[in-house]
Amino acid sequence: MARLALRGRAAALLACAAGAALAALDWPLSSPSLAATFGTAAPGGLVTGLALASTGGLVRAVEGGEILFCADAPGGRSPLPSALGSFVIVEHARQVAGVYSHLAPGSASDYLRKVKPGDILGAAGASGWTEGEGLLFQAFDRKEGRWVNPLLLLPPLGDDKPPVIRSLSLLRAGKSYPLGETRSLGQGVYGIALESSDPSAAPWTAGPLAPYSIRLVIDGALAARCVFDVARASGGELVFFSEGPRAAAALRGGEGRYVLAERLLARGKVVFEVQVEDAAGNRRSASWSVLVE
Amino acid sequence: MEEIGKRRLAAVAAVFAGILYFFACASPLRKELVLEPVWARSLEPAAGGAPAAKPAKAQGARPAAEAGGAGTESSAKPHYFSLAGRFGYFDAEGELLYSAAVPYGVALAPDAFATYERLSAGFAIRSPSGEELARASLPGYPFFDAGRRFVLAPDQCSVTEIGPDGRALWSRQFGSVITAYGGSPDLAAFGLMDGSIVGLGLRGEELLSFAPGGSRLPGIYGVAVSPDGLLVAAVCGLDKQRLVVLEKRSSAYRVTFHRWLDSDFRRPLAMSFTADGRNLVYEAPGGAGIYERGTRRESLIAAGSVGRVGEAVEGLGMLALLAGSGEERLLVCASPDDRRLIDLRLRASDASLEVDGNSFFLGLDGNLIRMDLREE
Repeated sequence: MARLALRGRAAALLACAAGAALAALDWPLSSPSLAATFGTAAPGGLVTGLALASTGGLVRAVEGGEILFCADAPGGRSPLPSALGSFVIVEHARQVAGVYSHLAPGSASDYLRKVKPGDILGAAGASGWTEGEGLLFQAFDRKEGRWVNPLLLLPPLGDDKPPVIRSLSLLRAGKSYPLGETRSLGQGVYGIALESSDPSAAPWTAGPLAPYSIRLVIDGALAARCVFDVARASGGELVFFSEGPRAAAALRGGEGRYVLAERLLARGKVVFEVQVEDAAGNRRSASWSVLVE
Repeated sequence: MEEIGKRRLAAVAAVFAGILYFFACASPLRKELVLEPVWARSLEPAAGGAPAAKPAKAQGARPAAEAGGAGTESSAKPHYFSLAGRFGYFDAEGELLYSAAVPYGVALAPDAFATYERLSAGFAIRSPSGEELARASLPGYPFFDAGRRFVLAPDQCSVTEIGPDGRALWSRQFGSVITAYGGSPDLAAFGLMDGSIVGLGLRGEELLSFAPGGSRLPGIYGVAVSPDGLLVAAVCGLDKQRLVVLEKRSSAYRVTFHRWLDSDFRRPLAMSFTADGRNLVYEAPGGAGIYERGTRRESLIAAGSVGRVGEAVEGLGMLALLAGSGEERLLVCASPDDRRLIDLRLRASDASLEVDGNSFFLGLDGNLIRMDLREE
C-alpha cells in the first residue's frame, strides 16, 4: 500500500497522467544492492541518486530512450576532469534523463544511439570519484529541472527491515545534546538533528543510507517533514524536498545525521516524536522528552 | 605586306612587354617554410632513479635559443606535458624541470600543478619544480585553466574556485551534470546536461545564463571562451546539433552567430579559441571547423578525428592541429581556409602539441620533440 502511495507520488512528481507508466522502468543492474540512497550523506555532499554495489555487472537501460551523452574517463578531449568517471546519459520518456555513472573505463557503449529497455550501456565499475565498485544511477526531471529519487521510479526491492533511529540531538553553539542522555537544558534556539539510516546489505556504502521520509513532531505539532523525493539547485545551492525545501548544506549534520529544523524551546517539558520510513514503507518511531529550564 | 607588318609589330610589342614585366614586376620568390628538428628527449627516468637523459640535439641544429625565424621567438616560460601516464615541465632547451607519474589525474598550468588520487579529499598545489605552494582540502578533482583554479565536486554538479592559498573563494551548485567547460581569465563558462550554459565571474557571480535550445534534444557538448572573454561559443543539442557564438555587448551576452551542423557528437568535444583570439576551432566531422571572429567566415581543415585544436602559429596566420586516433597521428599546419603547410604523419598512441611562437613542442608517447618553423 505504501509502495502504491510512493508510485502515485512519483507520477505526480513527473506530472504523468498515470503512475502505471512508471512500472515500465527496470533496475539497471540485475541484483541491485543499495550502497547509497537519495539523500545519503557522502563525502562532498548529499547523494542525488542511487549507488548500487556490483562487481562488473552489466549496466542496462532502465527503459528505452536515446543516448544524449557518453564520456569516458580519464583523459578525454575536454580540459574538464570527470568526477563521474565513465558515464552515459540517456534521454528516457517523459523528459526524464537517466545518468549512469562510474562505469568501468572503456565499457561505455558509445556506438549506441537509440536504446531499448535492457540494452547494455556498459559495465559497473569504479571510475571517477566513488567509494566502491558499482553504478551511480540518477534520474533528472528535465521539465522541472530537478533530480528525482529513483526509488520512486523503479520496481520495489524486497525490503522488510525498518530504518534505524540512532539518536536525536539538540544543537546549540557548536555543542550537541543527545536526548535520552540529556535530562535538562536551558531555553533558547536549538537545531534538531536526527541520526538515522536504512540498513544496507551492500559490501560497501557511500555513507549510512538515507531513509525516504522523516517526520518530526514536537509537543504534538508537526515541526518538520522531510521527504527525500526531489533535489534541485536554487541560488547556487542544492536544495532537497518538494515540500518545505531545505538546503543540503543546512540539512546535512554529518554522516547519517540530518538537521531537521531549528526551534525555540521555551521553559517546560518538551516531547519529541520521530517517525522514519524507508522507500519500501517500513517504519520506525521513537520519542524523547527533555526539561527546558 | 601590311598584314606581315602588323604581326611583326605585335611580336615586338609582346617581347617588349615581357621585358618590361620582368624588370618592373619581378619580386623574389617567397622562402620555403620548413619544420626543423631542434631536439628530442625521452621522458623515461634513467635507470637507478637518476635524472632523465639530456635532450638529443638534431644534427646541424643551432642552439635552441638561436633557433627560430619564421614567426616569433618561443617564450622563456616553462612548458608542460601530460603524456603516456607521466606529466611534468620542461624548458625551451629541452631540459626536464620536473617529471613524475600521474597517480589518477593531474591539473596542469604554466605556473602550478596538482596531482590527485581517484578518491581525492584534498591535494597540494605545487610549483613547476615540485615545491609545495599551498594545500586545498576539498573532495573532488582540481582543474586549472586561464590562471584560475577550480575543484569539480564528486557529483560533477558543483564547482569551487580556490585561491593561491588553496582556500575556497566561492562555490556554485549547478542544476545538472557539468558536461563542458571553457574559460578565460575573467569568465568560466560551464555547459550543463540540461542544455544551458552558465558563465561565472571572478567572485562566482553569474555573468551569463543561456539555453541555446532549437534542437530536438538539449545538451552542451563543448564550450570555448575567447581569451578576452567577449565571445562564448558552444556546440549544443541533438537533431540537429548547432554551433552558437555569443558576444558580449555592453553588459550582456547575445547570439552573434549560429549554424546548424552536420555533426551528431554525443561526447565531450575539443573546442577552443586560438591564443590570439582570432579563430574558434572546434571538432567537426572530418576535421576541424574554423570560425573566424573578424569576418565570421567558416571553413574546415580536413584532418580526420581532431584531438587537440586551436594552436595558432603566431605571425603566419596558420593553425596547428593534432589529429588522428589509435596509433595514427597527423600533425597539420594550415591556414584557416585549409591551405596546407605541413601534413606530418606520426605513429604514437598518445600525443600532445603545444605551439609557442614558431616552436612546435610535440609529445609522442614517451618522447618530447621540439621543431621550429623556419624560412629557407
